[in-house]
Amino acid sequence: MDKAKNSGADAGKVVLKTLPHSKDLKWPMLWWIGMEKIYRTLPWKKTAWTCAAFPIELMWIYDIFPDHPENMATVAAARKQSQRLIEHAEGMGFSRDLCSYCKTNIGSYDTKIKKTLGGISKPDIVVCTNAICDTHWKWFQIMADKMNAPFFMFDIPKWVSGTDEKTLEGNIDYVVDQFYDLMAFVEKHTGKKMSEKRLNKVLGRSMELSDLWREIFEHRKSVPSPYSGAETSAAFFPLVVLPGVKVGINFFKKILADIKTLTTKGEGTMPEGREKYRVMWEGIPFWYRMRFMYDLAQQGVVIAFEPYTYSFAPVKKKCLTMEETLRDVAKLIMDTPYAYNLERRIENFEKWIDEYKLDGVILHENMSCRPSSAGMVDLAEAIMRDKGIPVLILQCDMNDPRAYSEGQIKTRVEGFIELMEANK
Amino acid sequence: MNKLAYFDTSHEMPLEIIMAAGFIPYKIMGDVHKSTDPADKYLSSFFCPAARSWLTEALAHSKEWAGIIFAQGCNNTNRHYDIWKLHVETPFLHWFGAPLLDSAAAKKYYRVELQRLISHLENQFDVKITAEKIREAIGKSNAIKKKLKSLSSLRSQKDIPNRDYLTAIIKCLTCPVEEVSTWLDSEITLWNSRPAFPSDKKQFLLTGSDITYVEWMDTLDDCGIRVVRDDLSVGERFFATLIPDRNDPLEALIEYYTGIPKPATRPTIQKRLDYLYQALQETKADGVLSQNLKFCEPYAYDSVPVNNALKARGYRVLHLERDFSPAADQQFANRLMAFVEMMDGGNNG
Ligand code: SF4
Ligand code: SF4
Repeated sequence: MDKAKNSGADAGKVVLKTLPHSKDLKWPMLWWIGMEKIYRTLPWKKTAWTCAAFPIELMWIYDIFPDHPENMATVAAARKQSQRLIEHAEGMGFSRDLCSYCKTNIGSYDTKIKKTLGGISKPDIVVCTNAICDTHWKWFQIMADKMNAPFFMFDIPKWVSGTDEKTLEGNIDYVVDQFYDLMAFVEKHTGKKMSEKRLNKVLGRSMELSDLWREIFEHRKSVPSPYSGAETSAAFFPLVVLPGVKVGINFFKKILADIKTLTTKGEGTMPEGREKYRVMWEGIPFWYRMRFMYDLAQQGVVIAFEPYTYSFAPVKKKCLTMEETLRDVAKLIMDTPYAYNLERRIENFEKWIDEYKLDGVILHENMSCRPSSAGMVDLAEAIMRDKGIPVLILQCDMNDPRAYSEGQIKTRVEGFIELMEANK
Repeated sequence: MNKLAYFDTSHEMPLEIIMAAGFIPYKIMGDVHKSTDPADKYLSSFFCPAARSWLTEALAHSKEWAGIIFAQGCNNTNRHYDIWKLHVETPFLHWFGAPLLDSAAAKKYYRVELQRLISHLENQFDVKITAEKIREAIGKSNAIKKKLKSLSSLRSQKDIPNRDYLTAIIKCLTCPVEEVSTWLDSEITLWNSRPAFPSDKKQFLLTGSDITYVEWMDTLDDCGIRVVRDDLSVGERFFATLIPDRNDPLEALIEYYTGIPKPATRPTIQKRLDYLYQALQETKADGVLSQNLKFCEPYAYDSVPVNNALKARGYRVLHLERDFSPAADQQFANRLMAFVEMMDGGNNG
C-alpha cells in the first residue's frame, strides 16, 4: 500500500485511526504467496488465472491455486510500477484507450517483474467470465494465446434494466450448463475431478467469509464511521482470492471485533469530532494514489461506504443439492453490485445513502472501465433529485497515473465539499 | 410496412425474425454529419462516437420506428441499453441476449432468446410469427446475401469505387428487402459493365471497426486504396455465409448466427483470423488496412495479435486509429499515401 497514506501525521493534520488488527492482513497475504510457491513446486498441484466475478471457490474446490492478474495489477500500481508497465504494453501496440489493468498485466508479464512489484507467472489454465466486462475475456484470451495456456470463459448473460424473473431463469440455465463445460475443461487440462464433499466445504467457508464482511459493513453504518474506504480497499483482499479457505475468515473476525470495540465506545476512524461528511465512493480506487482518501480526511470527509468492496461479498445460500448450489452460484455471478444495471444501481444507491447516512457521493468515471462508467450521469441525476445530496463525478483511471490531474481533482473535490457543507 | 430498428455492434440480430413479424429491419447507424451533443448529455466522450451517434439518431427518430431491439454486442455499449430505456421514447424495447459463445450450451440459450423475442413481438404487435413466415424470411435473406456476394466479388475485377460498395451494404441493412433485391440486380449489371480494375490503385483487405459513412471510403480511394475484401459487419460478415436449410427454421438461424465469421466482440481471435486468411487466399491483396475507430475497445484489443499474425505471414499491414468524422484528415491521408507508395517496391502474400 501507499507509504504516504497517513501523510496527515504532520502537526494539525488529521490522522486516521487504523484498526489494531489491520496489520494482520499480512497473514492472509503471506499465506497466499506461500501457497502459490507450493502449488508451483508440486507437479500434481495446478494454478489458474482468474478474474473478478469468477467464482474463485470453484478453483479451490479443484485444489487449483487462483492467481489474479487484477490483484497483481493493483500491487504494481501501489508499488508505483503501473505507469511503466502500461507504457510498455502501449509500446507493444495496445491502445491508450484500453483498460489499464490489462495493460499493467501485459507489461508485467512481458517484463517479468518480481511478484512483490506486481509480477505474475504463467498458469496451467486461464479461466474468466464476462460478468462485469468483456475486457476480462478479451484480455485473458490474448494472454492465454501468448502463454499457450488452455482458456475457458463463462458467457454470462446481461441482467439489463427491466429483466423479468422468467428471463432471469433462462439466463441462469445457460450459466449452469456452462458449469458442466467448466468441469469437463478442468478435468481435461488438469486431470482434477469435482468432489461434492469439497464443494460443500469450500462454499461453507466462502459463505462465512462473505457474511463476516457484510457484518463489518453493518457496523459501518454507525456514526462516526469506524472503518473507512481507505482501509477496506486493502482489507477486502481475502474476498478476492481466498473465498473458500480458512485464512481470511480469522482476519475478518479480528477486524469485526476491533470495529465492535470502536462502535461500542462511540469512536470512529477519524479523531473525535472531525467526521463532518460521510461519503460513498463508487468505482475502483486510484491504486497509485491511495493518499487521495487520506487527503479527503483532512477536510473531514470519510468514505463510509463503497459498492466496489461490498460487491465481493454477496449473500450466499446453503443449498441441499448440487444443482441448487450451481443455480445459486450462477445467480450470484450475475448479481454483483459492480455490474448492476442502471435501475438496480439507482435503487440500491439510494437505499445505501439512507442506511449509511451519507452526505454525498463520489462517482469514479473510470476511463479504463466503460461498463461501470456507463449511466453515471443518470445515476448522479437520480441521486441528486431523489436524495438531495451532492454527487461528484471524477473522471480518472484506477491504474494509470497519467490520468490523475492533481490540481483539477483538488478543485473539484473542494467544490464538492462546499456543496455538502451548504447542504447541511 | 413499418421499420423496426435494431442496435447491433456487429451482425448478431436475427433479422429474419423481424421480417417474419412483418417489419423492415432497420440497422441504426447514426449520422456522421450530425453533432452527438444530444447523446453526449448521457454518455461520456470516452465512449465510442459511433454509439453516441446511434443514440443521437434514436433520440431524434425513435417515433418513426415501431420499436427497437438491442442485440448484445460490445463492452462499450451493452450497458447503453439502460440509458436508452430511460431516454428514448419507443413503445417496444427489447434486449436480445445474443450469446458470445458457439458451444452447445450457447446454442440452447440462443433458442431461448429467439423464443423470448418471438413472444415479445407477437404480444406487442398482435402478430403470429409462424415457422412458415420465418422460412420465407430466410429465403429472402439468403437471396440478398447471394446477390451481395456476387456484387462484392466484382470489387477486385472492376473499377468499383469504395463508396459504391458501402452504399450497397448500407442499403441492404436499412431498406425493404424487395426494393433492395431489385436494386441489387441492376447494380450487378451496372458493375459488370464497368471498366477493369484501375492499374493505379492497390487492392486492400479492410479489417477492424465498422465504417458507416461513405466519406471515409472516399478518403481511401483518394489515397489509391481499393477495398476488395473485408471482414466488417457492415460488410462481408453480413453475407459471407448463407443461412442453412433446416426443417426447423430456428435451428437454421441458430446455426447461422453462431457460425458466421467472428467479429472482435466474439471469441476467438483464431476464428477471426481464419476468415482473414481465407479471404486473403481467395483474393490476392496488396495490403491490409487495420482500422480502429477511436475508443472502440474490441478491435483495439484484437488489432495487436491479429496484425502481428498477418505480418508474420508476410502481409503488409497498416494500422490506424480514425475519428468518426466525414472530414478528410490530411495527416491520415499522408500516412496512407506513403504506405501505398512504399508498396510499389513489390507484392506480398
Ligand atoms: S477495470 Fe473495468 S474494464 Fe478493466 S478489468 Fe476491471 S471491470 Fe473490466
Ligand atoms: S465501433 Fe467498436 S466500440 Fe463502437 S459500437 Fe462498434 S464494436 Fe462497439
